[in-house]
Amino acid sequence: MKKRAITLFINGDEYNITVDADETLTQVIRNQLNLTDLKHCCGRGECGACTVQVEDDRYPTGKKIINSCLSLAAMMDGKRIYTVGGLEKGGTLHPVQEAFVEQGAVQCGFCSGGMIMKTVDILENNAKAGEAEIREGLEGNICRCTGYTKIVEAAKQAGKVMAAGK
Amino acid sequence: MSNSRILPEFELLAPKTMSEAVDMAARYGDRATVLAGGTDVIIMLEKNAVKPEYVIALGEIPDLDYITYSKADGLTIGALATAYQLVQDKKVKKKYPALWQAAASLGSPQIRNAATIVGNILRASPSGDCCCAMLALGGSVVLESTSGRREVSIDDFFIDYGKIERREDEIAVELKLPPVEDASTSAFLRMTRMTFDLSKVSAAVSLQMSGKKCKAVRMAMGAVAPTAIRIKKAETMLEGVTITEKLLSDVAATVSRQVKPIDDVRSTADYRREVSGVLAKRVIKAACNV
Amino acid sequence: MSEYSVIGQRIPKLDAREKVTGRCKYAGDMRMEGMLYGKLVRCWDYAHAEVVKIDFSEARKVPGVVKCLGPKDVTRKNYNTTIMKLLVPAVFSDVFGEIADLNIFNARVKHQGDVVCGIIAKTEKAAERAAEKVKIEYKPLPVIMTAEESKKKNAIQFTPLKPGNLAANFPDSFFPNNEYGWNAEDGKTVHQKFKDADLVVEDTFYVPRQKQVQMENHAYVALYDDRGRLNCWTSTQMPKLVQNLIGELFELPLTRVRLVQTPIGGGFGCRLGMIAEPHACAMAMAVPGIPVKIEYLREEDWVASESRASGHFYVKAGFKKDGTPVACYGDYQVLKGGYYTHGSGPPFCTAAFMHGMYKWQAMGCKADIWFNNMVPFGAYRGYGNPENTFGVEQLVDRACNKLGIDPIGWRKKWAKGIGDESWLKGVNFVSSGLDDCVKEAKKKIGWDKKKKQYANQKGVKRRGVGIGIMQHTSGAWPMLLEHSNVIMRLNEDCTVEIMASVSDLGTGAHTAVTQMAAEALGWPIDDVHLKCCDSDVNGFDIGAHASRTIYCVGRAVMQTAADLKKQLLERAAQNLQLKLEDVEFAEDKEIVCTWDSSKRINCRTIAEQSIYSFDDPATGKTIGIPGQMVAHYSDFVKHCSPPFAACCAEVEVDIETGEVKVLCLSNAHDIGKAIHPPSVEGQLEGGAHQGLGYILSEDIYYDDKGLCLNNDFTDYKMFGASDMPAENYVTLVESAPDDIGPFGAKSCGESALMGPIGSVANAIYDAIGIQITDAPVTPERVLAAIKKNGGVK
Repeated sequence: MKKRAITLFINGDEYNITVDADETLTQVIRNQLNLTDLKHCCGRGECGACTVQVEDDRYPTGKKIINSCLSLAAMMDGKRIYTVGGLEKGGTLHPVQEAFVEQGAVQCGFCSGGMIMKTVDILENNAKAGEAEIREGLEGNICRCTGYTKIVEAAKQAGKVMAAGK
Repeated sequence: MSNSRILPEFELLAPKTMSEAVDMAARYGDRATVLAGGTDVIIMLEKNAVKPEYVIALGEIPDLDYITYSKADGLTIGALATAYQLVQDKKVKKKYPALWQAAASLGSPQIRNAATIVGNILRASPSGDCCCAMLALGGSVVLESTSGRREVSIDDFFIDYGKIERREDEIAVELKLPPVEDASTSAFLRMTRMTFDLSKVSAAVSLQMSGKKCKAVRMAMGAVAPTAIRIKKAETMLEGVTITEKLLSDVAATVSRQVKPIDDVRSTADYRREVSGVLAKRVIKAACNV
Repeated sequence: MSEYSVIGQRIPKLDAREKVTGRCKYAGDMRMEGMLYGKLVRCWDYAHAEVVKIDFSEARKVPGVVKCLGPKDVTRKNYNTTIMKLLVPAVFSDVFGEIADLNIFNARVKHQGDVVCGIIAKTEKAAERAAEKVKIEYKPLPVIMTAEESKKKNAIQFTPLKPGNLAANFPDSFFPNNEYGWNAEDGKTVHQKFKDADLVVEDTFYVPRQKQVQMENHAYVALYDDRGRLNCWTSTQMPKLVQNLIGELFELPLTRVRLVQTPIGGGFGCRLGMIAEPHACAMAMAVPGIPVKIEYLREEDWVASESRASGHFYVKAGFKKDGTPVACYGDYQVLKGGYYTHGSGPPFCTAAFMHGMYKWQAMGCKADIWFNNMVPFGAYRGYGNPENTFGVEQLVDRACNKLGIDPIGWRKKWAKGIGDESWLKGVNFVSSGLDDCVKEAKKKIGWDKKKKQYANQKGVKRRGVGIGIMQHTSGAWPMLLEHSNVIMRLNEDCTVEIMASVSDLGTGAHTAVTQMAAEALGWPIDDVHLKCCDSDVNGFDIGAHASRTIYCVGRAVMQTAADLKKQLLERAAQNLQLKLEDVEFAEDKEIVCTWDSSKRINCRTIAEQSIYSFDDPATGKTIGIPGQMVAHYSDFVKHCSPPFAACCAEVEVDIETGEVKVLCLSNAHDIGKAIHPPSVEGQLEGGAHQGLGYILSEDIYYDDKGLCLNNDFTDYKMFGASDMPAENYVTLVESAPDDIGPFGAKSCGESALMGPIGSVANAIYDAIGIQITDAPVTPERVLAAIKKNGGVK
C-alpha cells in the first residue's frame, strides 16, 4: 500500500485520516494534524524532541515512551498517543509541567515537550525515582540550555507531588 | 549524503502472519526491506542509505514478541521482542547477564522500547552491543523462508561489514541461545564517549567456572573489526586454567594483538587496540565478580 | 528584607507556561494560508568546487513544484552574514577589511553545505523530493583544510579581496607588530620582556570547532506582501540589525522590511546576524503575495551555520621565581572556513580576554585567520574566551607547579581587579567579586580536604582538583556600538507598555527586563508588559550578543522609567499646583506633597485623565492634563563592567583507558546583582554543560575531502543528563555590585562556559601530572599523552 486509512487517538481525540506509507508519526502529527506541540528536531531518534507516549498493555503503566520520528504512522492504526499538548487538564497543569515552570527547568523550551513527556513516563513508572534513575531515564532527550540541573530538580519535585497524589 | 527529512517513497506491506511475510520476502527479494522496531531501518531510510521499493513491516504479526527460557532449550527471543522486554526479564538478567547488560545499554529508553534484539543482531554493526554479547554466549539465528526454517550459528552469521548469513528471501524469526549451566557466568562491557552512545569498543565473555578455574569460555569483542568477533586466542589461554592477575595481563596483551580496529570518528585504531586488552581483562573480572 | 520588591524574586519565567504546554509557536510551527515550502539545495559531496551546470528538468516534473530558483533568479549582490560592519565605525571596518563574499546561491562552493539553488513547492515533501532530483555538475577544486595549505604561495585563492588567503589579522596600523597588548613600564616589548623571566612555559594548543547546537532547527517564513513589504519571521538574535541587512541586500527602505522575531529555540551566538533569512526572503520575492517557509534539517546545521573558531593557539608565559607574572604572548592561527563572516571578531576577543585577565608586566597576542574549506566560524557563546582560557589557565598551573606556588593564591594575587584595564583598552574594572568567587567555589567543592586526600594516589583511578578563573564582558563597548531604545507608554489604567527589541534566547531576558522595569517604576510586575520582537513596533536595538541584554537594555530601561516617573511628578505637581521639588512618590502609585500629605494625587488619575481628557461642560475647563504619556530613551552605553568567575572541578581519570569523569563542578560567578536568580543559575548550569563539551567531547570532524564526519547527534557528542556531574554547584556572588550595571548587575550569559574549561584541564593535570594540549581532551588523547610521558605522576 502507498497510503493507509488509520485512526489515531491523540490525547483522547479521535482522528480518522489517510496517511502516506512513508510518513513518520512526527510528520503526520505536525503536518497533517497540525499539532505543533510535538517538535521535530533530528529525525533520528537521538534528541528526544518528538517523544510521545503510546499505549502498550505490556507495560505496567499501560503506556510506553517512543520517538515518534522512528515510527511509521501507517503502523500506528488504532493507537492511543499522548503528547505534551494533552497534559494540561481543565486549565490545570500536570505536576510535571508545574514543576518545570516552578524550578526554571525551561529555557528555550524547544526540548521541553519531549523532556516533559519523558519525565512524566519516568515518574508514572516510579514517582519515587531517585536522582540517578531520573538522569538515566532522561538519556535520549537532549537539552542544550539547562545542563539538566533544573530539569532533574523539577522531576524530583513532580515526583513528590505524584507520589502523594496516588 | 542525506539531505531530506522525508523518507523515500515505498510501498508498505503489513503481513498478518509469518507465512505472508515470507511470501512477500520471496516475491520481492532485495527490492524489500524488513522493518521490525524501526530504530535502524527508519534512520537508514531517512539517510537514504537504503531505498527499497517495499517495506515489509512485521509489527502486525501477533505473538512474535516472546522471550522464553527452558532448561532444555535455553533462551528463545522472538523477532518482535524489544530490548525493553529483555531488560525486564529476570531470567535473562540472571542467566544471560552479558546479553542483559548489552540490551540495557542499547540506545535510550525510547530506543529500547522500540528496538528489537533480533534487529540489533541483523543490523550486524561492528559496534552492535547485542552482536558482541550473543557472540560470547553462543547460539543461533533462526531464518524462515517459503522453503522452511534454518538455523545459522551465530559464529557463522556475521560475514563482513554489514554482511550477514541471510538470503534476501529469508526473514529472521527468532534467536536461540543455549541453556546455561549453574556454574556459568557472563558479562558485557563497553566503552563509549557518552552514556547514550554507540560503543567504540565492547567486550563480552561467557565462562564456565569451577572455583577459580575456567572450564569453558567464549569471548567476543565489538568495534575492533568489520564485525563483532570471537577472540579465540584469548579463549585458548583461559580454557582449563586458573584465572590469575598475571593470566589476565597476558590475555589483555593477546587481545590487543589480535584485534584489527580502524580509525574513525569515534576513536582511533591505536586507542582501540590498547584498550581492548583492558576491556577484555575487565569483562572477565566482571563476569567472575572479582 | 530586600531593598527590592520585584528584582531578585524567583518568579516563574513569563514564557514558561506556553513552553510547557507546547503552545509556544516557533518559526517551524508556523502555518499560514497558502504557505509554500522552500528547500535549499546544498552541495553535499564537495567542500570546494565550481558549479558548472544546474539542471532543473527532472525537479520541475515533481508534482507540487512551484519554482526552481538558480543564481540568476535572485539578487546577485554579495553580502556578509554578520552585523559587524553595522556596529563598528567605518574606519575600524576598513582596518579589518570587512568584505562581502557570499551570495544567496553560490557559483563556487567554498564549504560542504554551501547553497547552490532552491526549490519552492506546495508541500515540504514535494520540495524535498524535487531537491533530490536537481542535477548539479561540479568541477572539484583543491580542498584546503589547514592554515599551512591556505598560506602556500600557489594555494587556490578564496577571494581576490583577500590575497594570500589571509582573511584577517590585527592590522599593523592599529596594532603595532600585529599584536594586541601592552609594553612593560620599562618600555620593553612582550618579546623583550621574556628575557627578564626566570621561568618560561609555552605550548601550542589545539582549540576545537565547537558547535552551538541550539535545539530548534533554523526555520523561517517570509512573505513579500501586496503592499510591497518584505516580511520575515525568524528566530534571529538581532532582529533590528537583520532588518537593516535585508533592506540593504534587497535594496528596500526599512519601511518595507518587517522582521518578526519568533521564539528562539536556543541561540548561543549561532543566530547572531543572518543565516538563511536572505534565502527565505529571496524565495518570497519570487512568489509575491505567498508566504514561503524554509526549515533546516538537523544535519544541515553543522555544515551550514556558523561554528566556533578553531585552530592552533601558541601561548608562552614568563614568570619570576616568586611567581611574578612577567610576560604573556599568544599566537593564534585560526581556520576561517569558506567565508569572511565575523573575520577577526572571535580571535581578536581571544587576545582581548587574555588582555583582561592577569597583571603581566607585558602582554601581546596576535592572530592570523586563514580561509579554508570548513564551515565558517562565527559567534558562539564565549566568543574567543574559551581558547584563551584553555591555553593560559593550563600554563599558569604548569608554572605554579614548577615554582611550587599555590595556583589559587597565585590567581588571587595576580588577577586584574578594580582600576585595572579589562579586556579592552580604556575599560577599567569598576568592581570585582573575584576573591569571593574563589572562596565560594573552593568551599563548595571541598578543595583543601580533597587536595590532601588526593596527594598520594595509587591504582587505576586517579582523582584531582583544579581551578580556572575568568573575566568576560557585559556588552561589547567600546569594541562595538551598544545602542538600545526603550519606549514606555502609559496606558489609561496606569499600566505600562514597554517597547524594546529585547531578544530572549531562552535565557529569561524578557522576564528579567520586565522585572527591572517594574522595579524601576516601583510598580507591581503585572503593571508592566514588554512588547518586543516586531520591527514594526520597536526602536533600534543591536539584539542579544556579548552578554549585553541585562546590562545594556537594563540601563536603558532604568533611564526610561526615570523619565516616565519624572513626567508623572511634573503632571502631579501641575495638577496639585505645587513645585516639582515639592512632590514625591508614595505607596500604591500615590504622589504626595512632601510637606502636606493631604495634597496628593494617584498616578491612575493622571494616567486616565491623560487619555480621557474631557472639558468640564459646566466650567469649560479641561479635566486633568491631556496627552498620553510616553517616555523614550535612546541609550548608548559608554561602559562595560566585566564579571569575574572562579570554577573548581574534581575529576577522576582512568589511567588504563584515559577516560575522564567529572565528579563535581563548583562555579561561583560575580553577578553583582541577580535580577532573576533562577535564570542566572540556569545560565551557569547550562554554560557548564557547554564548557564541559568544549574541554572533553565536542569538535566538528572532517575527512580529507573536507566533508563533515559528525553532523549528527550520533557522532557530535554532548554531555547527557547522566554524564553531567551530579554535583554541579553554582554560586551567585552578589558581594560586589557594579556601580554602572543596572541595580549592580553584571552579565552571566556567556561566562559560565569558561570556568569548566580551565578547571577541568587543571584537575586532569592534578590527577595525572600531565597536561593535555589538544581539546577536546578525549580518552584517546589522554592515553596517548600518558604513554608518551611514560606513565602518570
